[in-house]
Amino acid sequence: MKELDDYINKVQHLPPAPKVLPELMSLLGKEDVDSSRVVDLITYDPSLTASVIQLCNSAYFGAATPATDLQEAITRLGFQQIFRMVAAVTASRLMKPKTKGYGIHEGELWKHSVTAAVAAQLMARELGDDENEVFTAALLHDIGKIILAQGLENIYTALIEEIEKNQQALIEAEKKLLGVQHAEIGGRLLARWKFPSNMVAAIWFHHQPSMAAPHERLASYIYLGNMVAYFIGHGFGHQAFALRGRSEALEVLELTGDHLPHFMIQTYENYEAVEALFHLGK
Amino acid sequence: MSFSNKSGFENRVVIGLAEFTATKRLDVVLATYSLGSCLGVAIYDPVARVGGLLHAMLPDSNLDPVKAARQPGMFLDTGLEGLLAAAVKLGASPMRLQVYIAGGAQIMDNSGFFSIGKRNYSACQELLPKLGLTVKAEHVGGLVNRTMYLQMFSGEVFLKVSGQSKESSL
Repeated sequence: MKELDDYINKVQHLPPAPKVLPELMSLLGKEDVDSSRVVDLITYDPSLTASVIQLCNSAYFGAATPATDLQEAITRLGFQQIFRMVAAVTASRLMKPKTKGYGIHEGELWKHSVTAAVAAQLMARELGDDENEVFTAALLHDIGKIILAQGLENIYTALIEEIEKNQQALIEAEKKLLGVQHAEIGGRLLARWKFPSNMVAAIWFHHQPSMAAPHERLASYIYLGNMVAYFIGHGFGHQAFALRGRSEALEVLELTGDHLPHFMIQTYENYEAVEALFHLGK
Repeated sequence: MSFSNKSGFENRVVIGLAEFTATKRLDVVLATYSLGSCLGVAIYDPVARVGGLLHAMLPDSNLDPVKAARQPGMFLDTGLEGLLAAAVKLGASPMRLQVYIAGGAQIMDNSGFFSIGKRNYSACQELLPKLGLTVKAEHVGGLVNRTMYLQMFSGEVFLKVSGQSKESSL
C-alpha cells in the first residue's frame, strides 16, 4: 500500500478528486433516500449540474421540452439515468484530457472507457445486476493509466519491448518497469477519493477478477466490458492486446465464451449510446 | 514517400465496423479503422479496376442469423459473399481478384474462450477457397490494432499499426 501511495504522491499532475460521485454512490446505497438530498449533493458542483442538464437535453437523451433545472431533469429521466449522467460527466473530466504515454491519441482513452462501460452495463442488465455500479466502475477502470502515463512518457518504448520480447501482459510489464501497475494504482486512487469498497476492489483487480473477492462479480463485468471494447477496436496504443485471458470472469457470471460474440453485437447495436457519451461536453 | 503523402486524405471512404463497400471510383482510398480482433478483407481486380473492403466483426452468421440478414458485413461468411457479389456486379472477375487480409488481433489466452481474433482468421481461411479466392498478402494475429487502406488507383493496400507512426505497404 505504501508504495502505491508513494507513487501517487510523486505524480505532478494529480487529477482533482471528484467529490459528488463517491458521496452519491454511498447515498444511493442506502434505503429511503430523500430526493432533495440527491439534488443538494449534485448542485454542490454547479458545473457538474450544468453538464448533467445539458446532457439530459442532448439529442440522444433529450425530451421534447428541455429541462431547466436538476429537479426537472430527475422527474423527467428518473434517478437511475441521472446517476449515470453524473458518473459519465465525472469520468469524462478525468479520462478525456489529453494523456501522454501508452501511445494514446486524443480521445482514445475516453472512447475505450465509454465502450467498456456500455458493454458491461448491457451484460449487467441481461444478468440482473446493478447497472449503475457496473457502468460507473467500467467507466473509471483505467483511471490508473492517467497516473502511470506521466511516468511512462520516457520509457514507453521499453514497456513495449518488455511485452514483445518476454510475452508479458501490460500489467506485468508495468510492474517490472515502474514497480506498480495501472489497475492497483487506480484502485488505490479511488480508495483515497472515498469510492465504495466494491468499486475499489473491482478496479484494483480488473485484470485478475477472482482476486477481487467478495466483489468478483463486479470485477468480472469490468474485465469482460474491457475485453469487448478491445475486440471491437476501441483500444489504444501499440500491443494493445497484451491482456491475459481469464476464463474465471465468465465462470463467475455463469457465462461461456459463446456469450462474448453476443455481447459484442449488443454493444455494436448500442453504438448511439457510446457516441452520445463520447461526445459529452462538446 | 509515405502513403499519406502520395494519396492525401481528401477522398477517403470509411468502411465502418460490420460494413463493406465495393467501388469503381479510382479517386478514392477505402479505409477501415482500428480492426481489433475484427478482420479486414480488401479485394481488387487490377483489370476491371474494381475494389472493395470489408470490416467483419465475427466469424459466422450462425451466431445471429437475424442480425446477419439485416447487416451481412457483421460476419465473415455473409460479409465475404456480399463483398464479392458487389464487386462482381461492378465488373470484377473472381479469378482476377487480389485478396488482402488484416486484423484478427488476439489476447494472451490459453483458455480458448477469448479467441475471437483467431476464429475470425480461421473462418476467413476456410471461406476464401470456397469462393475461389486466394490471399495475396496478410498481416494478422498478434497483439496489435490495425487500420487498413485500399488505394483504388493503384490497387495497393496499406496498413497502419496502432502506436506506430508510419503506414506500410501490405
